[in-house]
Amino acid sequence: MARYAMVIDLHKCVGCQACTMACNSEWEVPAGYARTRVRFAGPEGAFPNLVASPYVAQCNHCDNPPCVKACPTGATYQTDEGIVVIDRALCIGCGFCVEACPYSARFLNPVINKVDKCDFCSARLEKDLQPACVATCTAHAKFFGDLEDSGSDVFRLVYEQGARRNESPAAHPGPNVYYSGKKANVDLALAAFPPRPPRLLTQGRFWKGFVKPLVLGMVGATFLGQAVAFFQQLKKGEGQFDD
Amino acid sequence: MSAKISRRDWLRRSSIAGAAASAGAAAAEPVGRPGWQGADRVRQIATNCEMCFWRCGVLADVRDGKVVKLQGNPDHPLTQGRLCARGNAGTQLLYDPDRLKRPMLRTGARGEGKFQEISWDQALDFLAARLNDLKRKYGAESVAFFPHGVAPAFFSTLMKAFGTPNSAEPAFSQCRGPREVGYALTFGRGLGSPEPVDLEETKLIVLIGSHIGENVFTSQVTAFGTALERGAKLIVVDPRFSVAASKADWWLPIRPGTDIALLLAWMNVLLAEGSYDKEYIAQYAQGLPELTAHVREFTPEWAEGITEIPAARIRETARAMAAARPAVALHPGRHATWYGDDTQRARAMAIVTALLGSWGRKGGIFLPTALNTGHTALPPFPKPARERADGAGTLYPLASEEQGLTLGLVRATLTAKPYPIKSWIVYGQNVLESLPQRQQTLKAMARLDLMVVVDVLPMEQANYADLVLPEATYLERYDPPAVVESARRPFVSVRQPACEPLYDSRPGWWIARELGRRLGLEAWFPWQTPEQHLDSIIRPLGIRARQIGARGAVAFDGRPYIEDRKPEDGPLFPTGSGKIELASPMLKQLGFDPLPRYRPVEDPPAGYFRLLYGRSPVHSFARSENNAWLDALMPENQVWINRDAARDLRLEEGDRVVLENQDGAASLPVLVRVTPGIRRDCVYMVHGFGHRSRALRRAYRRGASDTALMTRIAVDPIMGGTGMRVNFVRLRKAGEGA
Repeated sequence: MARYAMVIDLHKCVGCQACTMACNSEWEVPAGYARTRVRFAGPEGAFPNLVASPYVAQCNHCDNPPCVKACPTGATYQTDEGIVVIDRALCIGCGFCVEACPYSARFLNPVINKVDKCDFCSARLEKDLQPACVATCTAHAKFFGDLEDSGSDVFRLVYEQGARRNESPAAHPGPNVYYSGKKANVDLALAAFPPRPPRLLTQGRFWKGFVKPLVLGMVGATFLGQAVAFFQQLKKGEGQFDD
Repeated sequence: MSAKISRRDWLRRSSIAGAAASAGAAAAEPVGRPGWQGADRVRQIATNCEMCFWRCGVLADVRDGKVVKLQGNPDHPLTQGRLCARGNAGTQLLYDPDRLKRPMLRTGARGEGKFQEISWDQALDFLAARLNDLKRKYGAESVAFFPHGVAPAFFSTLMKAFGTPNSAEPAFSQCRGPREVGYALTFGRGLGSPEPVDLEETKLIVLIGSHIGENVFTSQVTAFGTALERGAKLIVVDPRFSVAASKADWWLPIRPGTDIALLLAWMNVLLAEGSYDKEYIAQYAQGLPELTAHVREFTPEWAEGITEIPAARIRETARAMAAARPAVALHPGRHATWYGDDTQRARAMAIVTALLGSWGRKGGIFLPTALNTGHTALPPFPKPARERADGAGTLYPLASEEQGLTLGLVRATLTAKPYPIKSWIVYGQNVLESLPQRQQTLKAMARLDLMVVVDVLPMEQANYADLVLPEATYLERYDPPAVVESARRPFVSVRQPACEPLYDSRPGWWIARELGRRLGLEAWFPWQTPEQHLDSIIRPLGIRARQIGARGAVAFDGRPYIEDRKPEDGPLFPTGSGKIELASPMLKQLGFDPLPRYRPVEDPPAGYFRLLYGRSPVHSFARSENNAWLDALMPENQVWINRDAARDLRLEEGDRVVLENQDGAASLPVLVRVTPGIRRDCVYMVHGFGHRSRALRRAYRRGASDTALMTRIAVDPIMGGTGMRVNFVRLRKAGEGA
C-alpha cells in the first residue's frame, strides 16, 4: 500500500505562488482562498546577516489526522494510502475540522458551503498525473510520491536527506508534508509557522453524549428523505428528471 | 483503458481533420487534444502564454467554447509543463469584465474618458482616412508607432509599408537596450530573450541586481532551482535582501549606483592574481594589456570605499568565480536602465564574463543556434522621406533602429524637431506606465492630431485616445510564431486561439490587414490566414503548421558551446576584430571610454531615499493588476524601508505613506513594509501599481506607481537608454501635511 507524501525544498522554492494559482484553477477554489499557498518567514537578524525563507502551507495528510476525529458526519476520512479527503456529499460545513487542523489548512468554501482543502489531487493521481502544484512548480521545489517506494524522490529526500516534518511537542499529528533546504532557512520557516495544538471540540462529554448522535441522526434523516424522494421520482418515470 | 487514445493516432487524425478545415479563408480551428478529465469533456489547445513576454508553453482546456483552465504544456521544449502564477491565471484576463469590448471614438475632452461605440468598419475607415490625411499634410513620418510584444508584428509591417521609420518600444531604451549593446560591443552579439544563461550546468551564479524568483520567467526559475539543488553557489549583489539573496552564499548589499566599481575590482583581482582564463583570453580576446593597466588601481580596497562592500568579501567572491570558471553564470540582467552609465556597466559584466572564459562555455553563457526559417515574400518597404525623429543611430549612435527610442519620439512630438510628429499609434504598450517623465508624455499627447490605442484593457492612456481599438487577448488569437534561437535547444512555437474573440474584439493580424487594405497596402499581407503565414516561416525547417499546432512547439538540436560550433554558425565573435574586444575600438572611435570607468552618481539629499523598483512573481509590469486571481494574491504593492530608518521616521509596518520625490511629484498612499532586508539609503517597491484608470475597477488607485515618481532620468549617451534609478523620495504619513 502506498504512503503518499510531499517534500518541499525551501532552498529551491522562490515563493512565486504558481502552486497556489494552479491549484485554485484546477479545483475552482474561489479567489482569496487557497488549498496551498506560500508564506514568507523573515528576514530576521541584523543587517547584513539575515535569514529568510518561504514556507508552503497546505494539508499535511497527517498519520493521525485531528480533523477526522473532529468530523461529526464522517465526511472527512483517510484513505488507505494516507490521503485525507472530504466527501462533499456528507460534509455539512460545520467547520469543526477547520478548528481542529493544526496547520490551518482547511477553510469553508463560500461557493459550495462545504469545507475545502488539498487532497493531493486524488483525481489526477488516478490518471497517473502529478498533483497540479507539483506539475506547475516553476522552481521544481515540490516533490510528490510514495514513501514506501525506495526509488521515489520523497523517499530519498525524507529518509536519506533528512527532510523534516513541521511538528512540535504540543502538536505532532504525524504530518506527511516534509521540508528540506539549508538548515537555518528550514529552522526559521518551521519556527515561524508552527502547528497549533489541535482544538478538538469533539473530546468533551457534551459532544459524545449529545451533539454527535444528534448530527448523525440528522444526516441519517436526510439520507432517508433523499431515498424517499428518489423512489418517488423513479415512479414518475425517467422523462421527469430535471437534469 | 479503452478511452485512451495514443498520441500518434490523435495527431494523424487531427491532421486529416485539418485538411478540410484550412480550405476556407477563415482561420482554421487549432488542433486540440483531450484533457485529463477525458476528451468528451475537455479539448486542449497548445499555445503560447502572454501574461508576460517569455512565451511559455500553455495548454488551454476548452469546454463548450470556453477556456476553463490553463496549465503548462509538457511538450514545450523550454518550459516543459511548468507555468507561473500569472500563466495559470490567464483565464482571468480573457474573462475580465473590464476589457475593451468595442471600437470607440472619443467624444469628450482628452483624458476625460468619454467615448462613443462604433463599428469596426467605421473605426477602420476613420483611421485610414485620418492617416492618409496626415501623410498628405505632414508626411508618413509624422505617424509614430509605440508597439510592445509580438502581437504588433503585423502592424509594424503595416507602419513600414505606410512609410514611417518612427517606431519605438520600451524593451530597448527602458529595459534591455544597454545590456544588448554592451555585450554586442564585447562579444559581437547581444543576448536576446530568453537570455542564454547556462544555469542548468553552472557551478556559480552571479546576480547583479537581478531578482530571479521575484522576477519570474518560468524556465529561468526552473534552471535556477536545478542549479541550487545541484549545489551551485550563488553570489547576489543587491541593496535589498531579495528572495535570491536569501538563498545566496554571498550577499553583497552594495551601495546603489556603484556596481561598476565592484566589477572593476573583481577584474583587478582576477588579473592581479593571474586567476583569469589565460588560454581563453590569449586565443579569443584582444585588449588585455590596456585592460590590465586600466584596472591596476581599482583594488578591492579602492572599491570598498565606494561600494561599502568589505575588500575581503570582494576578493573572496572574485576567487570563488575564478575557482568555478568557466562554469560561472554571470547573469547579464534584464531591466538594465539604471543610472545612465548602463552600457558601460554591461560592458564591465561582459569583460568579467570574458576573463572567466564563460562565454560560449558550459555553465556560462551559451551561444544561440540560428534556425533556417523562411518568410512571406513581401514587396520592399518604401524608403522613408526623412530619417528617424528619435535620434536612434544619429544622436545616440548605438541605439537600435529596429526598437527605437521611446522618449526620443516624445521629445520630437513636444518640440516638433527634427520635424512634427502628429500621430501616435500605441499598440500593447502602456506609455503612461512604462515611460518615465509622465508629465512630458501627457503634454506630448495633448499636442497630437490623432492618438490611437490598440489594447486589451482600458489603461489610463486609452482616455487620451481619439480612437480605441479592442484587441483580442492571447487566448483568442494567432500571433507570429516564436522563433527562439537563444535556447540550448532552439525551437519554434505558436500562439493559436483557444476560443473565439469575445465581444467585438479582433486579433492583431486582422486589424493590421484590414487597415492595410483600406490604405492600399494589401501587397504586404499576401496571406489569407495566419496559418499560411506561419507555414511560410516554418516550411524550410521541414514542418507544417498543423504538426506544430498539435504540440505547440518543435525543438531542434542546438550547438550551444564553442566546441559544438560549425562553419555555418559564422564567426564566433562577430566584432570588428573578430575577437572578444576587452577594450572597445568602437567606443574609442565614437569618443566614449573604451574601457568602463566608475563615475559617482548623485547621492540622495538629506531626508530622501533612492527609489528602487522591481517585480513581483504574481504580476507583470502594469498589465495584470486588474486580474481577479492575481489581485487576490497581491492587491497592492508596499514600500520597503529599512527598520532603523523607519524607526527614525516613526513609521511602522502597515502605515500608509505618500512618497514625494525631489521635484514634488507625489504617489498615491502606499503601505509601509518595515524590514531589515534593505539598505538605509534606499526604498523599494514593486512596479506596476497605482493605476489611474477608473475603468480598471479592481486596480484603480491600488498601491503606488513608481513610474509617476520618475520625473528625472539619466540618459545613456551611447545608446539613449533612460536610467530611472536617479529619483529620490521622502515618506510622509498619508493624511499629514508636507
